[in-house]
This record gives sequence, C-alpha cells and structure tokens, in this order.
Amino acid sequence: MNVIISTLATFWLLLALSFFLIKRGLWIFNDVAKGLSMFMLEKALGPATDFVSGRPGSSSSTWIIHGLVWAFVASTLTFVGLWLNHDATALHSFESWGYRPESSELIYSGRLTALFGAIGMLVVGTSLYSLPRLCGTHLASESNATLVSLLWTLSVLLMFVGSQNAVIIGITILPIANLLLTLATTALVINMILTVSEATQEIPFPGWLIVFAFIGNIVAVLAVFITGAFNEGVGQWLLFHLAGGTFFFCGVAGVSLYSVSIGSGNPLWSKSLVAFTLFGAFITINPMGSIDPSVVVDLFSLTSNELAPSSRDVISGSFLMALSAIPIIAFSANMLVTMRGSDAFVENPDSPGIAELNLGAWMLIPIAIGSLFVQTDALGGVNELNGISQSLDLMAIWLVMMPLSVGAALSVLPRASGRHQLSANRSRWAFWMMSGGAFLGLLITLMSDFTDMALTESMAEQGSSINQELRKVGSVMFYGTVIGAIFHCTNTISGQYRGRIMGDVSKASLSSIAIESYSLTGPTTIRKILASGANLDTEVSPSEQSEEIGSATEL
Amino acid sequence: MSVSIEVPSPIDEFIQGEKEPASSGVVVVLGFVSMLSFLILYGILFPGRDMPVISQVLPMFEGVFDSGIWFFLLGVIFGAFSIIATMLTEATSE
Repeated sequence: MNVIISTLATFWLLLALSFFLIKRGLWIFNDVAKGLSMFMLEKALGPATDFVSGRPGSSSSTWIIHGLVWAFVASTLTFVGLWLNHDATALHSFESWGYRPESSELIYSGRLTALFGAIGMLVVGTSLYSLPRLCGTHLASESNATLVSLLWTLSVLLMFVGSQNAVIIGITILPIANLLLTLATTALVINMILTVSEATQEIPFPGWLIVFAFIGNIVAVLAVFITGAFNEGVGQWLLFHLAGGTFFFCGVAGVSLYSVSIGSGNPLWSKSLVAFTLFGAFITINPMGSIDPSVVVDLFSLTSNELAPSSRDVISGSFLMALSAIPIIAFSANMLVTMRGSDAFVENPDSPGIAELNLGAWMLIPIAIGSLFVQTDALGGVNELNGISQSLDLMAIWLVMMPLSVGAALSVLPRASGRHQLSANRSRWAFWMMSGGAFLGLLITLMSDFTDMALTESMAEQGSSINQELRKVGSVMFYGTVIGAIFHCTNTISGQYRGRIMGDVSKASLSSIAIESYSLTGPTTIRKILASGANLDTEVSPSEQSEEIGSATEL
Repeated sequence: MSVSIEVPSPIDEFIQGEKEPASSGVVVVLGFVSMLSFLILYGILFPGRDMPVISQVLPMFEGVFDSGIWFFLLGVIFGAFSIIATMLTEATSE
C-alpha cells in the first residue's frame, strides 16, 4: 500500500477545502461564527484578558521575548548534550539528586525547546505583527494572543520535563504538552482567520505562507489520522516531515520574506518565487529534520514502529523530497536578491536581523541538499548516512531555522514595541557568537561523525582519540551560541525599556568611531572621506564655495 | 534687628555622583592584586601547609565540579541570572 501518496492526497484535499472556506466563508453563518469566535477569544476568558495589554504590537513583543529566552535554554541544553557525547560522566554528581543526564536526552530536549520554544514562538510573534500589516488591518485580539503565549510557554516547559522524565506519577507528560500546544495553536488560528476576514487589501503571498503554516500543521495531523497512517512507521515519518514543511518551513519563510523586505527597504524581488515557495512547500516533502520521528511518536503517544516503506513509498517519497529543492531554492534566492543593495550588510546595525536572515538564506540550500541525501538513504533502507543525521538535524535548526526566525523577529520587534534594541554593537556581537558557535561547533561535530562512520565501516577495534578531541572542540565552539543567546536576551529586554525610540533618527549612531555627516567643501576622493571615519551610512553634504580669489570685505 | 537665613544642613544630605570615576576600577584591581600577593606570601612563609578555612571547604566539592563543563555551566548560570536581573531591574527602574 502506498501510504505516502494516499496520506498526501488527503492532506492536499483538506488544504484546498481550508482555502475555499477562508476565501468564501461560511455562507449565512459568517456573522454568527465571527461573533462566537471573538467571544471565545476575549469575553469567555473572563478577567484574564484584563491582565494583559491590548496595545497593537504587544502580543508580538511578548512572543518574541519568550522565544529569545527559549533560545537561550535550547542552546544550553544542546551544548550540554554535545559535551556529554564525549564526556558521559561530566555531570555524574547530579546522580546524588536522582538525576542522570544523558547526551541523547539533552539533545532531544534541546531540539524540542529550540523548535517549539525558540523558533515556534519567534515565528508566531513575528506573524502576529506581520499578518495584520499584510492584510491592511489590526490583529483580531491582541490580548488573547498575549495570553496564549503563556499557554504555549507552559507546553514547552512540559516538553522539557517530559523529555527528561517521560512519566511522572503515572502521567505521560509529552501528550499533555501536545494538548496544550494544540489548544494554543487553535486559538492562534482563530485569531488569524478573523484577522484575514477583516483584510482591506489583497493579501500578498507571504501572508498566505503564514496563514497556511498554522492551518497546514493541523491539516497534516488530521490527514495522517484520517488515513490511519499514524500506526505505521512511514506515516509517523511523514507526519514529522509534514509538520516540518508546514509550520516550520512555511512559517519561517513567510515571516522571513516579510522581514527581509521591511528590514532592507527593498521590495520583495519576485512574486512568482514566493508562489513557488508556497505551493511547493505543500506539494513536496521537506527533507530537513531527523530521520527518527520520535518527536511525533512521543507527542501523540503513539506506538513506535520501524520505518519499513514499500517500494512505491520509497519512490514517491524520494521523488517528492527531491522536488522540494524547487521551493527551497526559490525561497533562498528570493531572500538573497531582495537583500541586495540598500546596505543590507552584516555591519549595518540600523537593520537588525538582516545579518541573521542573510546567514539563514545562505545555509538553507547546502543543508537541505545534505538532508535530502540522508533522508533518501534512510527511506531506501540503506542507512549508510545515519551517523550524520543528528548533526545535520542540529545544523538545520541552528544554522537555518534559528537565524531566519531570530532575524525576522529582530526586524519586527522595534516596529512592534516602538523601541530599538539597546545596543547595536551587542546585537552584532550576539550574531557573530551565535552564528560562529553554531557553524564551527556543528561542523566539527559533523567531521567527528564522519570519522566514526569510517571507523565503523572499516570495523576498527579501537576508536580514534582524535575523534573524541574533535567532539570536545565542537562542543566548546557551540558554547558561543549560548553566549550569543544571552546577549540577544539582555539586549532585547533592556531595549524594550531604554532603547532608542523608533523613528528618532537624531541619536542614531553607527559605531563609536563613525561620523554621522561629512561636509564636502571641495573635490576629494572616497578614500579620504572613508579615512576620516565615515562609513557607508554617513551623509555627505556638499557645502557651497566660491572659486574666486578672496579679497577684503567691503564695508 | 536680626535677620535669620536658613542654611541647609550639610549633615543630613546624602550626595552620590551619577558617573563613576575612572580611577575607581584601579582600587578594585589593587585589592585583587593584594589578595593574590598575600596568598603567594602565605605559600612562601608557610610552605607545605594548607590554607586555613579554604583547605577545609574545598574537599566538600570533590567529585562534584570535577569536569571542565562546570566552567561553562558557571557561565550559563551567570547568563541566566543576568537575564533575570535585566528583567527585574528594567521593569522596576524609574
């Protein structure tokens, strides 16, 4: 039986139905449905809504700050997980408290908190600001969106607990976390659909990417359960990748495409490429992510089954994963070309987030191609590249999804909160620490994985000592990501209170040595202007002068 | 005829400068260097003898902080507290 095609057919049908319902509404029940939904979002919550601010942009700021704090937690867990990979007894003193930390568990926790806590909350936060602007309206309920952030954070906290201790007092923790997450997602979907229903203009494609990121995730779960594929290893693998291709890929793509335009000041390069990204993301299977769908198995409390696809599944799955190169390349190219000119460079602190968006867009294609090889290898049952699956998964998280979501959030946050980050310099340091730490740390860990695979293949009796050294260096390098996340958190939180007010250009400073304006009194070279401390953002003002020979002033 | 002029008492007023003098850091560094010097001096004057108090406290941590990861975790703990402190101080400052 072809599980992949039958499940995807149901998925596509449900998506088409959702699109039709969003565009056409519920006929005569429209007003009733809207009124009832608004009541559920605000009045039904009672006094809880009075505790939060309903100011436009407040929900977006809250979600983004939560997301950055989770980025710190996720980076710490991943760092400790990578360290324990080469020094398993480093934290054995915790055993006296009954806690025995293991590398795989901590990396699993790091993945969950990075995906749902950091990337998820940053994407939602950025979406809550950008979608209403793309629709030319306001968010239906700011206060509900702010409250839901607490529910989401609670669910991520439970995921962290559940990944360390699956059952507490006879209660399985991860399905409860998933239940809370579903509740929060439902509230967000209702909020977004109500916002879309009040659109005053044609919604650009990035808006649809955001809407279908949320709806697509729910539809993917429904499709897998309707077809009964959840009981099979292939179905679980497919659900894992459909969730990755909808919520994570479409969500990140939608907010990144919006942010890259507002951040660089350039119009989005190609509308057709966004359309390719949108449709391609739903028609194909995104290869990024782990080969092990245990996240899905744990969150839905399913019985784990071996990945044993039929030959038709292998062919269709491999073909659809190869096809995903189209939306991925389209998205990456659109981002990079949109960033051209306008000084969209890493050294420009007046466009926070652009450097992260640049990095994510560059890293997307090589990591997607690497993931494609690993996934095809696993789906075909060859399993020769399983050894690098974990490192590649971490690279997809920390070098693609995280930079894109952090970059988009940093672009949007000043506009949502009305204040810039406290220090452009610290923001730049945070970028270099996070990106450098993740890139070098995970690349060196990947090298170690390759060495392990080569040793296993050659059936060597003893492991290589250099391999352990590589893992050690890799984990130490990854520590830069933790430091970068701390810098981002403190910089953003302080910026909310003391950051330069948005639109106040009088105090804009580019660096401690840069000059803001340069008076051009005569012909000079660009070298001389740059040597005086000017940079690409310095305003050059020509001063009028006379070439005539001077003489005494007549009184 | 007597005229009384109210003069503010210099005793009751607490005055603190807003800016930190550049030389104040020198005092802290001087204290740190002095501390290290005294520790070295102790080693010279009483060779082979354990440090008082410290030598009794440190064995309590044997088997606890015996991996290099703890240096990094101390940084993480410092970072976590700096985030919490930033939240609290920014929210409560005037």
